[in-house]
Amino acid sequence: MHLSILESGTEEKRSRNSEWRRAVHSLRKSPLAVLGFVITGVLIVLAIFAPFLAPYSPTKMRLSERLSPPSSSHIFGTDDVGRDILSRVIYGSRISLRICTVVVGLTIGIGTILGVAAGYLGGWVDELIMRISDVFLAFPALILAMAIAAALGPSLDNVILAMVVIWWPRYARVARGQVLVLREIDYMVAAKAIGISGGRTFTHHILPNCISPILIQATLDLGEVLLTAATLSFIGFGAQPPTPEWGAMISLGRNYLRDNWWYATFPGLAILVTVMGFNLLGDAARDVLDPRLRRGP
Amino acid sequence: MFRRSLLVMLSIALVAAFSLTALASPEDGVLVFGATGELRTLDPHVSVDNNAWRAIYYCYDRLVEFKLGTTELVPGLATSWDIADDGLTYTFHLRKGIKFIDGTPFNAEAVEFNFDRLFGMGLAPAGTFGFIDKVEVVDDYTVNIILKEAFIPGISSFATDQGCIVSPGVMEHEVAGDWGQDWLTEHSAGTGPFYVDEWTHGIRVVLARNDNYWSEPAKLEKVSIRYIPEAADLRMLLETGEVDIGEKLTVDQIEAMKGTAGITVFEAPSFCCHYVYMNCQKPYLNDVRVRQAISYAINYRGIIDDLWRGTATQMRGPIPVGLVGHDKNVFQYHQDLEKARELLADAGYPGGGFTLKIMHAPVIPEWRPMALVIQEGLAEIGIKLEIESYAWATLRDKLNKGDFDMSHGYWTPDYADADMFTWFWFYSQNWGLAGNRSWYKNVVMDKLVTQSRIEVDPDKRLGIFQGIQWISVSDAVYLYLLQTDYQIVMRDWVKGYVYNPMLLNMPNFPGMYIEK
Amino acid sequence: MSPLTYIIRRIFLVIPIILGVLSITFLISHIVPGDAAQLMAGPRATPEIIERIRHEHGLDRPLYVQFGMYVYELFKGNLGKSILTRRPVLADIVDYFPATFELTTAAMLLTIIAGIPLGIISAVHKDRILDQLSRLSSVIGVSMPIFWLGLLMMLFFYVRLGILPGPGRIGGELPAHVTGLFTIDSLLSGNWRALADSLSHLAMPAFALGYAVLARVVRMMRSSMLDVFSQDYIQTARAKGLRERGVIYKHALRNALIPTLTVIGLSYGELLGGAVATELIFAWPGMAHYVVGSMRTLDFPAVMGVTLVIALVYILVNLLVDVSYAFIDPRIRY
Repeated sequence: MHLSILESGTEEKRSRNSEWRRAVHSLRKSPLAVLGFVITGVLIVLAIFAPFLAPYSPTKMRLSERLSPPSSSHIFGTDDVGRDILSRVIYGSRISLRICTVVVGLTIGIGTILGVAAGYLGGWVDELIMRISDVFLAFPALILAMAIAAALGPSLDNVILAMVVIWWPRYARVARGQVLVLREIDYMVAAKAIGISGGRTFTHHILPNCISPILIQATLDLGEVLLTAATLSFIGFGAQPPTPEWGAMISLGRNYLRDNWWYATFPGLAILVTVMGFNLLGDAARDVLDPRLRRGP
Repeated sequence: MFRRSLLVMLSIALVAAFSLTALASPEDGVLVFGATGELRTLDPHVSVDNNAWRAIYYCYDRLVEFKLGTTELVPGLATSWDIADDGLTYTFHLRKGIKFIDGTPFNAEAVEFNFDRLFGMGLAPAGTFGFIDKVEVVDDYTVNIILKEAFIPGISSFATDQGCIVSPGVMEHEVAGDWGQDWLTEHSAGTGPFYVDEWTHGIRVVLARNDNYWSEPAKLEKVSIRYIPEAADLRMLLETGEVDIGEKLTVDQIEAMKGTAGITVFEAPSFCCHYVYMNCQKPYLNDVRVRQAISYAINYRGIIDDLWRGTATQMRGPIPVGLVGHDKNVFQYHQDLEKARELLADAGYPGGGFTLKIMHAPVIPEWRPMALVIQEGLAEIGIKLEIESYAWATLRDKLNKGDFDMSHGYWTPDYADADMFTWFWFYSQNWGLAGNRSWYKNVVMDKLVTQSRIEVDPDKRLGIFQGIQWISVSDAVYLYLLQTDYQIVMRDWVKGYVYNPMLLNMPNFPGMYIEK
Repeated sequence: MSPLTYIIRRIFLVIPIILGVLSITFLISHIVPGDAAQLMAGPRATPEIIERIRHEHGLDRPLYVQFGMYVYELFKGNLGKSILTRRPVLADIVDYFPATFELTTAAMLLTIIAGIPLGIISAVHKDRILDQLSRLSSVIGVSMPIFWLGLLMMLFFYVRLGILPGPGRIGGELPAHVTGLFTIDSLLSGNWRALADSLSHLAMPAFALGYAVLARVVRMMRSSMLDVFSQDYIQTARAKGLRERGVIYKHALRNALIPTLTVIGLSYGELLGGAVATELIFAWPGMAHYVVGSMRTLDFPAVMGVTLVIALVYILVNLLVDVSYAFIDPRIRY
């Protein structure tokens, strides 16, 4: 426990800096973590520079070339209306990135605000928010997402909306848990006793300590969000034609699996690699940020 | 060590299990049919679903029947019938000495009961016989059916699935005034060559042979209709022989299966039409020149040759080839982008510049690529087309409310008369799901279609149909896309199949058999 | 507090959640666009028929009345009547539930039978080839979309190699119906052909469904074993010269199992969700498949019924896990 509470701020900052340096160093030694960063990096690059990297337009149809196998002119082959699959996979990265960032971003925002409010204010606010969270968490995520998306109508935006509605309780829980823990820590109590205002306590002490577990949860969730969205599109409630979403492409390619294996295989590979990258990134984040896991090799 | 030996034992067991389920071979006398749609009820007075009719049709007989392989009518439960000169009374002379599967004798009272039940329950199939005023029993084996007004195609309706004659015996299972509906949902009560033996939901319906059938008994002992939701799965099962016969595979799959050993692909022209509705009550589409422009913008050849691999022909007017009344000289649109642009400019939209939406549902997979082709064509003349996919039920609801611009659709006739296309598609009282899905209204057309229903002189009637076709094409009421071929895939050991264009999803189980 | 008090308290807490679940499913199925009465009546029905159906099903009453009716019927055990099948939804669910139960339980058993030993092996052989391989396939496992894995497995094992059967629960005759679980029913009636048939049909779907959970279980088992290994008392036991195997099985295993079992229990919800994709791919006639069908056709009584049942099952499983965890670790009961 720090004796000088007023100085605790700067000391914490200094130790946090050296923590970062140690973290980066340990990450560089782990090949899997590097792989995670690389994959995610490639995804972002593909998404941003899609128009320059894709050899064809993702929507241009060439009926006479439909269902052609992978070749030098079409590295991933063509689909059932003659569109180039490689280009569609590349453009699909935009959609995947969009889904992940929007869903995770919004759920972090909503969840954190509600969770911190619940933890900090306590009382009936806490009860209400927690009960509502419990209700949403009582459903298996995919089932509820399906029900909402089906009710609103099949579209990618509805899928994103459905997932935000379902996902925020997780972050609310995490944020609330952190706040509860922090409230017990003596220096919070002491800070209040000395008279540091509630607002300052909030922004300078509580929020930063919430960030770690939330970030960990977020990076771990990226992959699950993508898988859920792809599954919903596969079932038919998500992205609509001609949007080149990976899950939707697998759904279409399913009828051609027998003789035209490339149609369903490459989008699936894209999902696999991307989610793997996210998961490795999440593992790395957890190794770095979670103090409880910091133990010997 | 113990764990290792357990693993070894498990693997041996598994291998043994798998080897037991190697390539399947057919059981003699049992035909396995692969259906991609699941049926919901076996009650002919409730069902309007082709998937259900496949199981229902051969458990019952009807007063008249479609002659095998044609659209002609031949005697069924009625040995003969007379139509009064004014067309208002049908007199049926019934066959004697027949019993329903539950033992009830078949006679005029049974026929009266059947129609009482149909109208008493008042569900969708009753609509097919909306032209009936009342049913009169003349004597034990003679029935009079009185019509509200003359309806030339009327006699043909009695051969449809809605015309199945249900046994009065179902009333023994009646619960709370439901006419036995609860019971009949899962059973059959007819005079037909089969009866429903078993229905395991989500898996299959099994029909068993009626050994007391009044006419030639079926050759098969059982027909097992298996529910296989995905066409890709059905294909695999056909290739391994686990399923004997199946339909509704995609054009690409069938093309790939044509060379496979042990598989026969049967193809024949059918009356099934795929077309696109254009909502004439909506802005832009309410101008006939815009609709004509759209008709000129479509790449018909691409759709037919590439997407459908030549298994369809372009529609020429609303009446399909093969039905009496089809005029082979009716104008047929073709892709002419220049003309399309001229028409758009005429209508006041030079270079297009507006957006339309087209709906489709995943239930017909070919619609999606067709929508893409249409989208491309319209883009060439400056119209932006947005493609929207809806659940089948939602789509039909929007059609019924007129809440759409354009939509895919398909249509098959229940009875073999051109009226099945003209009356439903163009009569202004039939707006919405009933048939007039372009929400079209034209008083001249209304007069023509009503007249065609009561005109007794066949030559005059042909003339009326000619007029109807010309107006419907020049008014570009629909996008007349395709008349598709019917395709069904079966194993070589399936024999006796005879195609009937009026019984599209109901292969002739009574005449089929297995021979290896 | 005593275990009994804790259990009762937890059960009481569940009731408002269930009400909340009901409200949500009710709300969702009423945002659905489409006139339910029209859908039930069919395309060629007259307006009179439609109105009659609307009245029969109470669709013309205000929303809160409909909700009240629904909850009341629920207490009588009536989940409503499906629009499409025209049977009570409960009957439909009873029909389809065994298939899903068989699939998810098989997947669960697979993860336990394969996951625990694999986790142990991984921990014991830490950082050697076996461990690296298992960790790699774990990461791949949780990253793979189930429907893609299923498709590829079918393509490979059924279409190309022909050693496993195709989609569906069973190829030939069904065993005599007792529970609806084909494997159990075949055992009970001594029908060995049906047993082999249903087991071989179960293999691929159970594996595809359980793979992700299996990966997680292996990781969990491995890390808890490693945790335990580094504990002082294990070092002591080793120093005392106890046999290695004895050390592992007696002490480490028991302590490592607790968090692993929690993971398994909580994964049941994931299995239920994953069953949707699996049942679609393998044409498995279970509840998830039925739900998708009802959603596609806007059969809202069926949608509400199934979502409710799935949620209740999930709540039950969570409750059981919570309660058993509380027994094992008294600190949890705050």
